[in-house]
Amino acid sequence: MIQHHPAPETLLAYSAGTLPAGRALVVMAHLQGCPHCQAEAATLDALGGALLETLTPEPLAPDAFARTLAQLDTPAPPAPRRQTPLPQPFGLTLPAALHGTRIGRWLWLGRGLRYSRVRLPWAPEANVMLLRVAPNRRVITHSHGGAEFTQVLHGGFYDATGHYEAGDLAEADEHLSHQPCAGPQGCICLAALEGGLRLPW
Amino acid sequence: MNATDAPLYFFLAATTRAVVVTEVNAPPPNGAALAALIARVASAQDRTAFAALFKYFAPRVKAYLRRAGLTPAAAEEVTQQVMLAVWRKADHFDPAIAGAASWVFAIARNARIDHARRQRDLPAAPDPAEEPQAPSAETLLLTAERATRLHKALAALGPEQRQIVQLSFFSDTPHTAIARALNLPLGTVKSRIRLGLAKLRDLLEDAP
Repeated sequence: MIQHHPAPETLLAYSAGTLPAGRALVVMAHLQGCPHCQAEAATLDALGGALLETLTPEPLAPDAFARTLAQLDTPAPPAPRRQTPLPQPFGLTLPAALHGTRIGRWLWLGRGLRYSRVRLPWAPEANVMLLRVAPNRRVITHSHGGAEFTQVLHGGFYDATGHYEAGDLAEADEHLSHQPCAGPQGCICLAALEGGLRLPW
Repeated sequence: MNATDAPLYFFLAATTRAVVVTEVNAPPPNGAALAALIARVASAQDRTAFAALFKYFAPRVKAYLRRAGLTPAAAEEVTQQVMLAVWRKADHFDPAIAGAASWVFAIARNARIDHARRQRDLPAAPDPAEEPQAPSAETLLLTAERATRLHKALAALGPEQRQIVQLSFFSDTPHTAIARALNLPLGTVKSRIRLGLAKLRDLLEDAP
């Protein structure tokens, strides 16, 4: 049962297309597993549609329609090829939202802590990663230079703000300093960080 | 006849297909009629149906792109790409999942994001609409008559809330920039968005 969802204004920014690419990817991963948020997002898209219909129409160039017609029979460019999925621990299936990203190998980051960089060809500045924390291991206390969105893919973690299990999305901002601790099954999550980590020293 | 009509008349005159002329002068199509037009493009590559969709949506998509900060020339070009995508993706359109305006809005929003990336020589992200996604029961329930209800709910929203919801959708600025533009603290912008959305939800649920 999913307990933690993106905030309403986060879903609105996602639907409006103004959420930065890294956070948008994490929200998309959440949506793909959350019928409740899918319905919310569908309503927000419908709201976008309703607002679109209320805009005062802007005339197009006189030849716009003819120019569009001339392109109708041109075949669409082929979709980009997808990376073969890397095998993941626990037979984990990565969210479809990660299609088209380039996922690196798991690298050792510290005791009981591994990470794998997720690169977005369409947003090279986005700082997205998969994180894997061993069962019951605490991550060092940290805060963030900006927003941190975390979608739990396997197991779970908890911090002062609550317990997060597979399917949950945790939103943290630059005001939160926390020390997440993995649950008994450990934790694999997809995280987007802005502004980098701030460590206490 | 305004400039928007010109290419449509040109096309209708040039086509050999039998054309119901009243379609051109008919009142703006409603959601069901627009959905039917998209279905005709999908099933029969019907260019007359596409012409009607172009006439209705292209000037609105252009207005949206202008508000999002695109130059007139870029808005013109991206609008044509959006309409081309409407033609190409028509067979992905499922009226059980999204209404016509909602579907076109999503295409226009993605085209706007892709345009911003192209400006930086970056590729487009994969289109999430091409991922197989079964509609949830909740989605199906909400889709029926949602567009009509939304129009009513929007009209019933207070001016401040409507303004902030509109800005959230149409300006290409994150909430911090909206806060600056309206001279409001970020927290106030976020809470107004929340209030506006909650009110919309109430209005949608109360609708008969």
